[in-house]
Amino acid sequence: MRIAIVDYDLGNVRSILSAFDNKGAQVQLTNDRNKILESDGVVLPGVGAFKHGMESLKKYGLVEIIKEYIDTGKPFMGICLGMQMLFNESEEYGHTKGLSLISGKVVKLPRKNICNEKLPHVSWNEIKGNVDNWPNTILEGIRNSSDMYFVHSFVAQPTDEGHILSTTEYSDWNFCSTVKKDNIYGCQFHPEKSGKVGLEIINNFMRICEK
Amino acid sequence: MKPKLEAYYGLPNEVKFCKICVISNQRPNSTIEFKSKKGEHKKVINFNKDGICSACVYQAEKETGIAWEDRDDKLRALLDRFRSGDGSYDVIVPGSGGKDSAFTAHILKYKYGMNPLTVTWSPHLYTDIGWKNMQEWMHTGGLDNILYTPSGILHREMTKNAFHNLLHPFQPFIVGQRIIGPAMAQKFGVKLVMYGENQAEYGNSIEENTNPIMNMDFFSSDNELDMNFGGVSMKEYIDTGRYTKHDFQPYIAPNKQVLIDAGVEVHYLGYYLKWDPQECYYYSVENTGFNANPKRTEGTYSKYSSIDDKIDPFHYLTTLIKFGIGRCTYDAAQEVRNDKITREEASYLVEKYDTEFPDIYFKDFLAYIGATEEQFWKTIDKHRSPHIWKNVSGKWALRHTVSKRGTDD
Amino acid sequence: MKKIRVLARIDVKNEFVIKGIHLEGLRKVGNPNKLALDYYNNGIDEIIFMDAVAAYYDRNTLSDLIERACADVFIPITVGGGIRTTEDIKNALKSGADKVAINTKAVQDPDFITRSSKIFGSQCIVSSIEAKLVGQNKWEVYTDNGREPSGKDVIEWVKSVQELGAGEIMLTSIDHEGTKRGFDINLYKHVAKNVSIPIIASGGMGEACDAANLILGSNVDAIAIASILHYQIDSIQNIKNTLIDNNIKVRI
Repeated sequence: MRIAIVDYDLGNVRSILSAFDNKGAQVQLTNDRNKILESDGVVLPGVGAFKHGMESLKKYGLVEIIKEYIDTGKPFMGICLGMQMLFNESEEYGHTKGLSLISGKVVKLPRKNICNEKLPHVSWNEIKGNVDNWPNTILEGIRNSSDMYFVHSFVAQPTDEGHILSTTEYSDWNFCSTVKKDNIYGCQFHPEKSGKVGLEIINNFMRICEK
Repeated sequence: MKPKLEAYYGLPNEVKFCKICVISNQRPNSTIEFKSKKGEHKKVINFNKDGICSACVYQAEKETGIAWEDRDDKLRALLDRFRSGDGSYDVIVPGSGGKDSAFTAHILKYKYGMNPLTVTWSPHLYTDIGWKNMQEWMHTGGLDNILYTPSGILHREMTKNAFHNLLHPFQPFIVGQRIIGPAMAQKFGVKLVMYGENQAEYGNSIEENTNPIMNMDFFSSDNELDMNFGGVSMKEYIDTGRYTKHDFQPYIAPNKQVLIDAGVEVHYLGYYLKWDPQECYYYSVENTGFNANPKRTEGTYSKYSSIDDKIDPFHYLTTLIKFGIGRCTYDAAQEVRNDKITREEASYLVEKYDTEFPDIYFKDFLAYIGATEEQFWKTIDKHRSPHIWKNVSGKWALRHTVSKRGTDD
Repeated sequence: MKKIRVLARIDVKNEFVIKGIHLEGLRKVGNPNKLALDYYNNGIDEIIFMDAVAAYYDRNTLSDLIERACADVFIPITVGGGIRTTEDIKNALKSGADKVAINTKAVQDPDFITRSSKIFGSQCIVSSIEAKLVGQNKWEVYTDNGREPSGKDVIEWVKSVQELGAGEIMLTSIDHEGTKRGFDINLYKHVAKNVSIPIIASGGMGEACDAANLILGSNVDAIAIASILHYQIDSIQNIKNTLIDNNIKVRI
């Protein structure tokens, strides 16, 4: 089971590497086209600003490589910023174009009461959804309303609601916390930082890669 | 062949540092302070043939060579002998409310069931934190205390003389500090005096560690008029016409025979309990309302040791000048021995802090001894031993430091 | 309603966990990796590793420790103590830390917060603030592990760090830390009124109800606890249950 973590100089990759390693995958950090295309599963991590992230992807020629990989139909997972970049564009620091692999845009979390609700959204928070839709996805077997670790100020808004696998509440607003379109997954939370439940999600991803 | 540099105070000519802690072989042993005369030779800490100081040798002994349960039994037996059955005080604990005396008094009362009277020989000038801790010792620690403050007029003159003649401003203070325990014991009809740790832990002759009882010579004298304060005898002070024997009441050591006849014994708790100054800090925070210094103490890295007297930093400044050993060296050496920091870390800290000038209370000190800055520096510079200090383009630098960054290293 | 995070604060010196009082003292209380794993297995939400002596020795040496921790602790890890350059931050993140806590350097060079948050994102940058009570409702910012007064007022400083781009604040009460006498609730009440980024309260927890009292009495988002865990005074489960009993949401 070969998993490639996309290396574009961004993001805390050690935890993701450890998490996959913990679950028995042969995991490598790479931006090499061949290695990525040969992998059974690819993960795009990311922490930081959308614009910076996209620029880095372009710098390493990864935009095309990622699209090429997606076309193979093999599983792909974006985490946090990695999920946000799957979409068309973000309003962070002006307007920046994303990978446009899933239709939708990235917006700032709205806040009603400034001092009660804080940004960045740094919190353990529940992911909720229709569990009937979860088998054969990365959320298979996960208890509804499980706590995951979030740290972000922006969220993705998929145009097609059918792509939303889970939502999470922030300030009376429900944002998309897990997204799925065909072979592409996105988690706004960090499964590699969400304790044992997070590791289960990683395990699920690997099982999907096996098929 | 380089000419040998003169070493003042009879100090060893070659400066060496302990292989385990960071103390140097220039560290003087404790003396009978009221016999201190100008220019006398100092006995210093011993280094064995492996270059290890006697304090570290003793520490190794503490770790493995002493059966502390036996010592505890001995302590209980001792205390049983002195414990009063009628509610009267049965042990005098001298101290200022710092971590060591706070620990000593509290544990004697609350663990060992004694009835201590704490007695404080007043610091020259209480710091805010020192005063607070002293009050907390009583209010939170639940102890009784007598604070004894000698007349400032004589005390200041003695301190001034001690500074200029001996570069040892604390000399008069130490006289009173050593005396107050047995003196109060005598006054209150109490037989047992318990100090905290034995200074021998820090490098006096190692045999002193095998003896729980303080040498009577430290606090008793046969002829009072010969007692020296700041290098000036009591007789000389009186001869000026400004003082009479009345003024020396706080400093007159009890007569040795009188103490013996009264059955007074002065012990060190450090003989009976495995002493760790930092653990005394933890204990006193948890039990007697002790607070660390809000900020780093000048001349060192710590916040919990010796923080109650504004004049204290000048004691350490003078040890730096005379022996090349500042406050940080003392603190760091102790913490290396007690396994809190490594020798490498200690060396780094000494390099960083040992020569830091104590600015905060400088003006208070000058006012206390009635000196100008010029007079201050004149005295300081007079006492720099050539084998320790070198003048490099008008600035003084140590010839040898533990991290080998001295001018001659 | 937000969930309160419960963090374990692990102060490290060389290969030991140490625990002081008033940010003073080096008493050894355990092994950092072992404690981190124990706390992870028992439901702690995050770990903070602080290099307790970075200020003394002008170094920071937690990289190895973090790497080992990441191998089997899958919750957020913050590293602090001696973070002085962007290179230090990069190394910390590379070792596996998710966030870095910065105090002394930020006070000396406030723009460091801005530069760092631009490069690494503000969610990576925790402003660590040591507060000492100096008057009624007045606290001073200290640096160098509670040793050097900075002359800065805490309330003014927290407003600044938010402006400068910090993602979170970890606010330690020097007066309470290590004493197990409860949190300085007044401090957090005043500070929370003035900022809108998450606040982690640190210092003073002695029993489970201290946490409840703090959360009910101020608007903090997380608590960092140390003595209560390292001295095994109470369990993480019991602390969380106490919060739940007081209608405070936590991650189960």
